[in-house]
Amino acid sequence: MAQEQEYPQEFADEQPSLWRITLGPTIWAIHFLASYAAAAVWCAKGPWGPISDRVLSWGIGIGALVALAAIAWIARGAWRQWNYPDDWDYVHEAATDEDRHEFLGHAAFLLAIVSFIGVIYTALPAIFAGTCL
Amino acid sequence: MTDTTGMGWRDDPVDGAAMPERSGPYPPTPEMLAEPVPEDVQAAQAERLRRAWKTPTGWRYWTAVNNSEVGLWYTSTAFIFMMLAGILALVMRVQLAVPDNDVLDASRYNQFFTIHGSAMMFLFAVPMFEAISILILPAFLGARDMPFPRLSAYGYWCFLIGGVFVMGSLLFDAAPDAGWFMYPPLATKFSGIGSDIWLLGLSFIEIASIAAAVELIVGVLKCRPPGMRVNVMPLYAWYVLVVGGMILFAFPPLIAGDLLFEMERSFDWPFFDPERGGDPLLWQHLFWIFGHPEVYIIFLPSIAVTAMIIPTAAQRPIVGYSWIVLSAVGTGFLSFGLWVHHMFTTGLPSISLGFFSAASAAVVIPTGVQIFAFLATLMVGRVKMILPMLWIAGGLAIFTAGGLTGIMVAIAPFDWQVHDTYFIVAHLHYTLFGGMVLPVIGGVYYFFPFIRKKHLSERLGRWAFWLIFTGFNITFLPMHLTGLKGMPRRVFTYPGDIGWDWLNMISTLGAFVLAAGFAVFAWDLLRPKGRQGQISRNPWKGGTLEWSHSVPSEPWGSRSIPYVTTRYPIWEQEKLVERMDGGRFYLPDASEETRETLVTTVVDAQPVQIQPVTGPTWITHLAAAFTGGAFIMPTFKLYSLAIASGVLAVACIIYWLWTATARIPPHPRKDAGLGLKLPTYASGASSVGWWGMWITMLGDSTAFASLVFGAFFYWTSSADFPPAGADYASLPWAAAALAGIATSWAATLAARRRNRQGHDARIWLMLAPLLAAGAITALILSVALPDLDPKSHVYPAVLWILVVWNVAHLGAGIVMQLYCLAGLTFGKITPRYDAPMWNTTLYWHFVSVTGLVTAIVVAVLPRMV
Repeated sequence: MAQEQEYPQEFADEQPSLWRITLGPTIWAIHFLASYAAAAVWCAKGPWGPISDRVLSWGIGIGALVALAAIAWIARGAWRQWNYPDDWDYVHEAATDEDRHEFLGHAAFLLAIVSFIGVIYTALPAIFAGTCL
Repeated sequence: MTDTTGMGWRDDPVDGAAMPERSGPYPPTPEMLAEPVPEDVQAAQAERLRRAWKTPTGWRYWTAVNNSEVGLWYTSTAFIFMMLAGILALVMRVQLAVPDNDVLDASRYNQFFTIHGSAMMFLFAVPMFEAISILILPAFLGARDMPFPRLSAYGYWCFLIGGVFVMGSLLFDAAPDAGWFMYPPLATKFSGIGSDIWLLGLSFIEIASIAAAVELIVGVLKCRPPGMRVNVMPLYAWYVLVVGGMILFAFPPLIAGDLLFEMERSFDWPFFDPERGGDPLLWQHLFWIFGHPEVYIIFLPSIAVTAMIIPTAAQRPIVGYSWIVLSAVGTGFLSFGLWVHHMFTTGLPSISLGFFSAASAAVVIPTGVQIFAFLATLMVGRVKMILPMLWIAGGLAIFTAGGLTGIMVAIAPFDWQVHDTYFIVAHLHYTLFGGMVLPVIGGVYYFFPFIRKKHLSERLGRWAFWLIFTGFNITFLPMHLTGLKGMPRRVFTYPGDIGWDWLNMISTLGAFVLAAGFAVFAWDLLRPKGRQGQISRNPWKGGTLEWSHSVPSEPWGSRSIPYVTTRYPIWEQEKLVERMDGGRFYLPDASEETRETLVTTVVDAQPVQIQPVTGPTWITHLAAAFTGGAFIMPTFKLYSLAIASGVLAVACIIYWLWTATARIPPHPRKDAGLGLKLPTYASGASSVGWWGMWITMLGDSTAFASLVFGAFFYWTSSADFPPAGADYASLPWAAAALAGIATSWAATLAARRRNRQGHDARIWLMLAPLLAAGAITALILSVALPDLDPKSHVYPAVLWILVVWNVAHLGAGIVMQLYCLAGLTFGKITPRYDAPMWNTTLYWHFVSVTGLVTAIVVAVLPRMV
């Protein structure tokens, strides 16, 4: 155990950070489900008409901005964890605490990018097909 | 509760009975690894290991639970089901070869296409992933076995019984005939016993699938070799983790749907009957929330096999490891946002269709990333076109074509044109053949030397490939056109004057070429290979741990469990195989001649425990047979026999748990090799059983969430839910039930804490089941009102199904509490060895949340809308 305690605390066995790589996609999922549920409920129970449609579109659009901001914030943290400009390492194949730490940051960062694009995709229908018809 | 040592949670200090800690040096120094073990010690150790892991012989062979046997049976059975389902397809192609044909009548044709689809999905594609993983995952991880071998065996026997039951129904002209997705009202109102066979037979298999998923996830998280951190584990393990997680979230909605469906078929609860407030579309939602992720559950494992073969073919490490992890995890998530693209023609609002259309296009990004990473690896490596690589290349080509038509049908207006035509048949076969069948066969060629210690034939393999590849394209490429010309799916024949006949004839001819390819492949698998002699140990020059296997075969999986610090240990770690063979790593011995494997931490794989592993038994067969009875008897309305069978199944499982799991070890700590001493028992979050429970309950909660989704769905889909004037569930009884659940949960928790502190905790465990029983009574009374007859309308049916779900879970909770009570009484559980108490408490955490949500949905929300 003696060797391990010499590492900085941030590299200690980080179970939470294994979950953290799924944070970006989780936000995508929440936004996706919320948009789907909002549209389902609004189209079933809400008032019909072009104004109503616009309210729904704006709601989904604002939700998307919130989700995008959250993902961007996660991406920022993940980028720092990856710490790319430090050693230009993107392979992370060594069995060290540092490589594992940076690998999880790298994976979380890439997943945040995919989630970011995914949220934009989800918001597109609100702009181009924002109607209950 | 802090964990400062990386050795699991510390909670409630044990008075006078401290758990033993790990001691000794870790990680091992190069000098320690260089230290040879004397020859005579090695031989004695090997002999003890051999005796501990000996495969039973004679008729007792079938009692084996070791991953190598169960995995072999599992893969072989899935392959046989695939060949049978393929023969059905061939007969269908014969029927369709010419117009107005009468080889099959409409009824039998319906049964054939239903069983073809169902068997390919439920009896081949998903089980094949689990089977292959059970067979080879421990080898990737240098582990002795999976953490719960008997669970794998139980899952296999369940799969076999369920599969034979479903396939066998064809022989009695009683097979399901409403299509593999069983849409109501056709399947609920107009179909014979076949629908029940489908629902009950396949639910049974789905449960086996979830069991395997739990096993595989825990295997990846807790049974990696020391040092194999998450950033160096084989990509296959990443895919297993993702796919296991997807199974946990995808299968439970279908199980919930099956439950609703069977309640309608057996007891006339009108979940899908519009006349009484039900809605057939709910089934479509639940089915496809399962069904679309299912496609990726099938696809990702085959890509995982690809990810293991490509580095070997290129003779270099994979390019873009992080990118492939992104790809696996990203696809896993996004694939849940696609289910409505199977429902584009059901009249949902445009904006809803848009969401799913967009997500269907977005999923291409992570799916494509991994393929580019593979291509990059091949480009920078020196590729040897080994036979498995040929299959992979063919698979990628076909899959890409299927992906392109996938983008086309993701566009809703295009889908409206081709929905339910042969265009879709062509599209889905391109994705499944390219994404699953060909890579899996490539995997069989690649891993066969590992599995059977023999080679398959290079010449037959090339013949099989080219026959299957060309046969496939001749069969399915014309179907795009057949579909665009308007031929619908699932018609048993067609008239000759509308331009479909020549296309169908080509497809049928192609199907025979395809079948010939499979015949060659099957012959290659089955033909005697005795004259081949001993093969070399690492024929493809692979870099991952499975190629450290013993030739000729040894039963122990891994002679000693290596200390792994690289992604390709055989390529990158000096003398690794030699040292593994020499017993110079961990667990080189079986001092008591019992089966053991090493448990490590989730992220950094530090060794923390020596886990006893269960051995050969008949109890799994009995448990599977009775579980089968509980599912199969209701098909024939034999409910009392079904209940009796279910009770016997539970009894078998309790016997199995009591006699074989969480036993108090003879030594609290044992030598694990390299000077390391490890505890032999763990409870709470550092034990594998706790993880198994946690993951199981995650899946269970998803099923419950699907039922709650159903309640909300009815509310949005109908104008009067709950119907005007309907009675409400009794609020006082619901509150009493909630109080009963909460106090029973608290008593269970108190029992665990008191026991840890060294007190007699039995009083709490006597109280807890009584409180739970009270909760069951109160819960039933809350909805047992004359106005809430579940047959009358879907609203009372929804309340009742939530109550039934809770009652069943509370019942299981009582059994667990009594198990712990018995454990304390008979000395199976002590203050120090209390794993069952932790698992029971964890279960009760979930049950109490379920109870809270139920009380709100049943008694409070209807009053508010």
